[in-house]
Amino acid sequence: MPRSPDDLRARSGKVLLLALAGLALLAFCLLAGRYPRPGLLDPRLLSSDATARAIVLGSRLPRLAAALLLGAVMAAAGNAFQMVFGNPLVEPGFLGVSQGAALGAALALVAGARSEFVVAGSAFGFALAALAAAALLARAFPFGGWVLRLVLAGFAVSAFMSAGLALVKYAADPLRELPDIVYWTMGSLSGASWRRLGFAAIPALGSTAFLVAYRWRVTALSADEAVVRSLGARPALSRALVLAIASAGVAAAVAMAGAVSWIGLVVPHAARLMFGADARRSMPASIALGAYFAALCDTIARAAFPGELPLGAVTAVIGSAAFVALLARGKVPVAR
Amino acid sequence: MRIEAVALRYRYPRAASEALRGASVGAASGSSLAILGPNGCGKSTLLGALIGNIAPSSGRVLLGGRDLATLAPRAAARLVAFLPQFERMSFALSALEYALLGRAPRLGAFAQPAKADEDAAYRALEGAGAADLAGRRVNELSGGELQLVRIARCLAQDTPAIVMDEPTSMLDPAHARMVADAVRALAASGRTLVFSTHDAAFAAYAADEVSLMRGGSDQFRGPVAEALEAGRLASCFGVPFGAASAPSAFFR
Repeated sequence: MPRSPDDLRARSGKVLLLALAGLALLAFCLLAGRYPRPGLLDPRLLSSDATARAIVLGSRLPRLAAALLLGAVMAAAGNAFQMVFGNPLVEPGFLGVSQGAALGAALALVAGARSEFVVAGSAFGFALAALAAAALLARAFPFGGWVLRLVLAGFAVSAFMSAGLALVKYAADPLRELPDIVYWTMGSLSGASWRRLGFAAIPALGSTAFLVAYRWRVTALSADEAVVRSLGARPALSRALVLAIASAGVAAAVAMAGAVSWIGLVVPHAARLMFGADARRSMPASIALGAYFAALCDTIARAAFPGELPLGAVTAVIGSAAFVALLARGKVPVAR
Repeated sequence: MRIEAVALRYRYPRAASEALRGASVGAASGSSLAILGPNGCGKSTLLGALIGNIAPSSGRVLLGGRDLATLAPRAAARLVAFLPQFERMSFALSALEYALLGRAPRLGAFAQPAKADEDAAYRALEGAGAADLAGRRVNELSGGELQLVRIARCLAQDTPAIVMDEPTSMLDPAHARMVADAVRALAASGRTLVFSTHDAAFAAYAADEVSLMRGGSDQFRGPVAEALEAGRLASCFGVPFGAASAPSAFFR
């Protein structure tokens, strides 16, 4: 088949550029901060200054790793959700997963949980419960195609979980508990540690590895129901599998970092713009770009101002601006 | 491979009446069968049953003598490819990437298509007369170009039979003629073609046999010349048929 060498060269060029930009970004994220003074830390201090070493390796490095993992998982799941729903405007919290996690965390905080692992575990459990509720509800609707039913069920479950969260906030102690809940729902990696990262890493990495291995099937699942079926797949089963595994990764990431939105919605569009829609390339590209995006946003949240910003606010500001720019330039293909 | 439906009955969930009431059709290797009939006569439902999208409540579909109901979806997808009437393109795959999806029944769940699969997809585009579209995005193609690329996706599936639902209904005469020529060429290459249409001229041009459907069952099955007799078409469609004076792209 005539695949032009120019195409391959252009693609390799983009991959190389992305890799180099990524390395530069990682170095920037590790060195940017407020020690010993606001700005970039001189790398030579790492050998001479024990405090600098402790800050970079003990605090910034696990936090950077957590940001990379968060961004990779959210963007991979977002790409999978958009393709499997055949809708470029959905995001991975779509089936109530994000709202469920927020309610789980809030309940744990109000119940007096002191351990961050209890809070994260409750968030993870509620996220999966929301997913299961959406799936069961979708089965119960006696009309419409599978996608429509799941979308409606996701709306209902999200709204239910949001209402639950509002009630918990209303009942929470405004001095001790409410600030924690609000802070959690805005998302942050300020408490990142290797231990906390390890807790999220297994479901998050497992979910992402599955999406990478299954990525060509994800492309096939973006086709219409009748086509997918005629290609010998069981569309409902395959789509449910992809959504469940992607959501488990999202649940782990949200349990670790709080509700951080926009990464899963906007990053897959950038990946598809650069590398084409086929998930054979857009899935790995989403993972790389999502990891970079989250790392950059978290560095801004951590180092741009004297006080820490909520990560979710930074991703929302940059993500929504990028999304509007893509929409305005006609770069988001919307069929309806 | 012979494709045959025997006395199919089917009622959609919560529908008042049956969509199929004992419909039977058959097509042999190297031939094309047109299923002709008015809107709502059960053509699409019958095609759905032929490819296993719809499980009939009674009757059987036989692919080369094997009962479709006993075949796993992947095994069925290696025997018969399907071109639906409409298809939504949500993502800007290239025509080659789209045609490559036809290789899915031949690859494992976690496999990525190999160079040989990409070659097969490209040959399928060539076979459908769409090789020059390989690098174009499917959401930027015209309706006629897209139809050729969708046919290429069926060809890449490399099946002995292809089922097409109204393959020319949205096309201008030039593209309709290209699709009709593709149908004839595919049948001439030994494949079994079954397509639905309500265009008698297209059926006359592209089919060897015609099955006239009305009210969920086949009224008549036979060679084109017999089936497309004016009186028969009139009773099938409910309007008088006569020789038209306008030129048609479907002439031999």
